[in-house]
Amino acid sequence: MIQLFNVIKNYGSGKPALDDVSIKIEKGEFVFLTGPSGAGKTTILKILFGWEHFEEGQVLVQGINVGRLDPGNIHTLRRSMGVIFQDYKLLPNKTVFENVAFAQEVTNRDQKKIKFKTWEALKNVGLTPKKDSFPPQLSGGEQQRVAIARAMVNTPPIILADEPTGNLDQEISNEILKLFEEINRNGATIVFATHSQEILKPGKHRVIVLNRGKVVSS
Amino acid sequence: MNSATQTLLTSLRTTISNIQANKQTFLISVMTIAISVGILGLFLIIFLNLNALLTSWNQHVQLVVYLKNDISFAEKSDLQDLFKSNSKIQSMEEINKEKAWEEFKLTQKNSGGLELDLGFNPLPDSYRIRFKPSENRSLHISEFAEQVQGNRGVESVEYGKKWIDRFEKFMIFCQVFLLGVGVLLSLGLILIISNTIRLSIYSRQEEIELMLLIGATPSFVKIPFMLEGIFQGLIGSLVSLGFMGAVYSYLKNQFQPSIDSIARGMEFQFISQPFLLILVGLSMLIGFVASYISTYQYMQVLNKK
Repeated sequence: MIQLFNVIKNYGSGKPALDDVSIKIEKGEFVFLTGPSGAGKTTILKILFGWEHFEEGQVLVQGINVGRLDPGNIHTLRRSMGVIFQDYKLLPNKTVFENVAFAQEVTNRDQKKIKFKTWEALKNVGLTPKKDSFPPQLSGGEQQRVAIARAMVNTPPIILADEPTGNLDQEISNEILKLFEEINRNGATIVFATHSQEILKPGKHRVIVLNRGKVVSS
Repeated sequence: MNSATQTLLTSLRTTISNIQANKQTFLISVMTIAISVGILGLFLIIFLNLNALLTSWNQHVQLVVYLKNDISFAEKSDLQDLFKSNSKIQSMEEINKEKAWEEFKLTQKNSGGLELDLGFNPLPDSYRIRFKPSENRSLHISEFAEQVQGNRGVESVEYGKKWIDRFEKFMIFCQVFLLGVGVLLSLGLILIISNTIRLSIYSRQEEIELMLLIGATPSFVKIPFMLEGIFQGLIGSLVSLGFMGAVYSYLKNQFQPSIDSIARGMEFQFISQPFLLILVGLSMLIGFVASYISTYQYMQVLNKK
C-alpha cells in the first residue's frame, strides 16, 4: 500500500532530513513512526501526501508514483488519504459541522450526501452535541476529534496522523488512540507519527523508529 | 445537480464570503476600475463625438467643377452625361459665371468686405455637385473628382480635400491615442486587481492550504478568486458607466444647442451599445486575467515546496 525506496530529502545544504529511507507498509496495517524531534517523521508524512518534494528515491502510495505525479493531479493522491495534524488545522470561522462538511465540498459531493456523511462522522467521534460550536469554543481533545471526523468522513483507505496527541494529556490521548484503532479495524491503513513513549507502551502495533533521517528499526 | 454546477455554486459562495471578508480592498479595487474605465470612456465619448462631427461636416461637402472658358458644347454634354451616370450623385446645379459673380459679391457684402467692381468677371462657369449621404461619401467625392479632373474642358475641381485629409489624419491619431490609453490603463488595472486578489489569497492562505491538503483540485481553489476578479471588473465598469451616463445627460441638456450651431443635425453622442459591451467585457476580462496571474503565481509557490 505504501512503499518508500531509498528516499533522500534535503532542506538546504545541511544534513539530509531523510537519508536513504526505505519503508514498506501493508494494507490495513497500523504503524507508529517514532523518534526524537528532527528525526524525519513529519517529512515522511509530508512526502506521502505530496506536500514536499524529495531529491532521490521512489515513493508509491496505492500504486501512485508520488514523485512523478503532476501538480495538477495531486488531488487524486490526497483524496485517497485523510490527514490529521498536531495543531488540528480547523477553520476557526466555521462550525464543527461546517469543518467536517468542508472536506466533502472540495470533492464536489452533493449537499444531501454531505449532510448525512458529516452527521455520521460526528456521531462516530461523539461530537454531535457540539456540531454548531466553533473550534475555539472546544477543548484540545474535542478539536482533535473534529479533525479525525474530517479525515475519515470521505472514508479514505489511508490515514496519516502527525503527532495527533502532541498537545493532549494522557487520558485524552488514549481516547484518541482508541478512535484511530477503531478506524483501523474498519479497514483503513494508519500511519501515526508520535514521539510519546506512553502511546507506544501497549506494544500492539508495529513501530518504525527514525533518528536523524535514518530508519533505526522497523 | 451535476458536478460543474455544484463547483460553480460552491465557488460563488466562497467568492461572496471572500468579498465580505475583504470588503475594503474589494471596494478600493472597484473604485480604481471605475475611475480607469471612466477615463477610457471619456476619451471614447470625445472620439465618438469628433467622429460624428466629421461625418456631419462630410455630409455637407460638395464638389465644385470649374469649367474652362473655351469649353465646347460637346465637352459640356459629355460632362453632364458623366454626372448623370454616377448613381452616388444626389443633385447637380449649373452655375454660370454671372450667377457665380453675383453670389460672390453678395457674400463679400454680407461679410462686411468692400464692394467689388473689377470691370470684368474673373469667375468661370461651374457645376455644384452634391453626393448622396453614405458612409464612404468623402471617398466617393475624391474618386469622382479625379475622374472629372481628367476631362477636357475642366479647369479645376475643388472639394476641400486638404482639410478633409487633415481631419481624417487627426481622427487616426485619436484612434491610436485611445488605443494607447486603453492599453496603459488595462495594464495598470491588471497590476492593481492582481494585488487585491493577492491580498484576498493571503487572508485565506490557511483555508486554501487546507483545501489543497484535503484533496481540492487546483481549479476548485482558483475559481472563487477568478470570479472575484470578474466581479470587480463588472461592478467597477457598471458604476463608471452609470456615472458617465448621468454626466452625459447633464452635458446634453446644457450644450446641445451649441452643438447644433456647430454642426446642424448632429446629436451629442454617448458611448454606443457595442462599445458599452466592449468596455464591460474588457473590464471583466482584465479582472479575470489579473486574478488568474495571482492565483497561478501562488499555486506555483506551493508546488515548489
